[in-house]
Amino acid sequence: MRRTLICFGALFAGVLVLFVWTLVSGPVEVSLRDIAVAVFNPSSAEPFHAKILWELRFPRAVAAVLAGASLSVSGLCLQTVFRNPLCGPYVLGISSGASLGVALALLAGFGFGAVGVLGAAALGAVFVTQVVLVLASRFKNASVLLVAGLLVGYFVNALVNVLVAGANAESLQAYVSWGFGGFTRLTFGAIPGFLLACAFGFALVLVSMRYLNVVRMSDDFARGLGIAVRRSRVLVLLGSSILAGATTAYCGPVAFIGIAVPHLAYMLFKTTNHRILLPGVSLCGAFLALLAGLFPVSIPLNAVLSIVGVPVILYVLVRGSRQGGAL
Amino acid sequence: MSALLQAKDLQFGYAVGMPFSQAFDFALESGEVVALMGENGCGKSTLLKTFAGMLRPIAGSVAIEGRDVHDRDLGYTMQELSKKVALMRMNMVPPDRMTVREFVSLGRTPYAGIFDGRSAEDEKAIDASMNLLDVQGYAARPVSELSDGERTRVYLAEAIAQSVDVLLLDEPNAFLDIPRSHALFRTLRALAAQRGMGIMVSTHSVEYALKYADRIMVINGGVVKVAAASNAEAEGILDWARAD
Repeated sequence: MRRTLICFGALFAGVLVLFVWTLVSGPVEVSLRDIAVAVFNPSSAEPFHAKILWELRFPRAVAAVLAGASLSVSGLCLQTVFRNPLCGPYVLGISSGASLGVALALLAGFGFGAVGVLGAAALGAVFVTQVVLVLASRFKNASVLLVAGLLVGYFVNALVNVLVAGANAESLQAYVSWGFGGFTRLTFGAIPGFLLACAFGFALVLVSMRYLNVVRMSDDFARGLGIAVRRSRVLVLLGSSILAGATTAYCGPVAFIGIAVPHLAYMLFKTTNHRILLPGVSLCGAFLALLAGLFPVSIPLNAVLSIVGVPVILYVLVRGSRQGGAL
Repeated sequence: MSALLQAKDLQFGYAVGMPFSQAFDFALESGEVVALMGENGCGKSTLLKTFAGMLRPIAGSVAIEGRDVHDRDLGYTMQELSKKVALMRMNMVPPDRMTVREFVSLGRTPYAGIFDGRSAEDEKAIDASMNLLDVQGYAARPVSELSDGERTRVYLAEAIAQSVDVLLLDEPNAFLDIPRSHALFRTLRALAAQRGMGIMVSTHSVEYALKYADRIMVINGGVVKVAAASNAEAEGILDWARAD
């Protein structure tokens, strides 16, 4: 109990510090004082500072927090539902779906009108996830669905490859740059949409808390404890795909967080109770994403996450297993 | 004594054309322990699943305290049912990283609200069942690291924390040594006597069945027979188990 409180306190403080740090760091010098003035006394603030804060750095910090938390929650849920520690938001074809949407928009020249590239990514993610979810409702066994999700992913990736092969150099570059992922694409006006999608996804996951806590044993065990397994599974998968789909749409495919953060949270909190794990992974994910976002924009986000994150997580895993934590 | 669980014209199995048994009636009384016996593959586990409401019968019905366990509209909802009956099985894969206490606490899931919290009353039930099965000594250890015998007792503690009226156990002494098996059956007897539970336990041991059960049910050649334990040998329902 004490351990849990300390972990939550430390993580919360860490997220807060990194959030503010994100606001004051960047190529242009804007001090903490300038930021405070821009927030609390906008009328006397330098318009230039306010512009940098609200149009660049605040959306960037918000994107990092929401993306980190969403991907982590999505990863945790998928690892729990499939009882597989290798699961991440990609197994349901979410990222391949988003890639397909973007590839259609950028490479094949489909306009997608007002929705733009973001909308194309979101539509692709939602469409492919729906296909997998329809499959999900037909299977009693969760591991069959895992295979189905991976197969759909291969299929969609093959379509993307066909588009890539036929694309010209210019549009190919735009596509590749989207594929790097990043928190700088979110605009101030888009924050409410992103926030709403995340809140909806979180809500779907939260109402299935009992299912998440018992399904680790087996579907039958969960039924024996009064859980409507099939309905809960669809709710959780839908929530997870909305979380990961929204993030992929707004930030591009962000690797690593979804699969690694749940393991980090297990090690920190030493529990399998999702009442603690869900807020725990959210904070861990937000912390890591903010940290990675502090690196110069010239280095791709996914590269930063993997180069900095993998050694840290490996260290935590190795140390944890030496202390007798089962993995 | 009054009937807790009642089976009427029951035919159970997985495929309609291939029931495990002819139709039979059976009533499990409050406060009694019934041993379920039969050869491998005769359908003991299938019958227990049918009694637990997890598998629809091919024909007939199963009711607990007068309400059907398979009909979700007129009978129990899943959650109501899970407060009435628990099926403890040994073939579960122990979950990674889950501690003994966390696992026993899962037994309170049917009583939890939407966010799966545990009340003081829940914690009391968890402590009581851990004490009863003598597992509080390793409350903080991961279930996956326990020996099979320890795990059996943890699984039973979880089922008891569920506070059900009908407790079904599928070969609980498969992994237990002789003293632990005796202790397990004594615990079952005590639960039946003190809490008025109706307990049905499948086992391959004629010795334990004769010593600890009130009645013995045998599935043999598609026929279900029940006799008082004191009378089982005289009635010849255990003849199939003889070596000669």
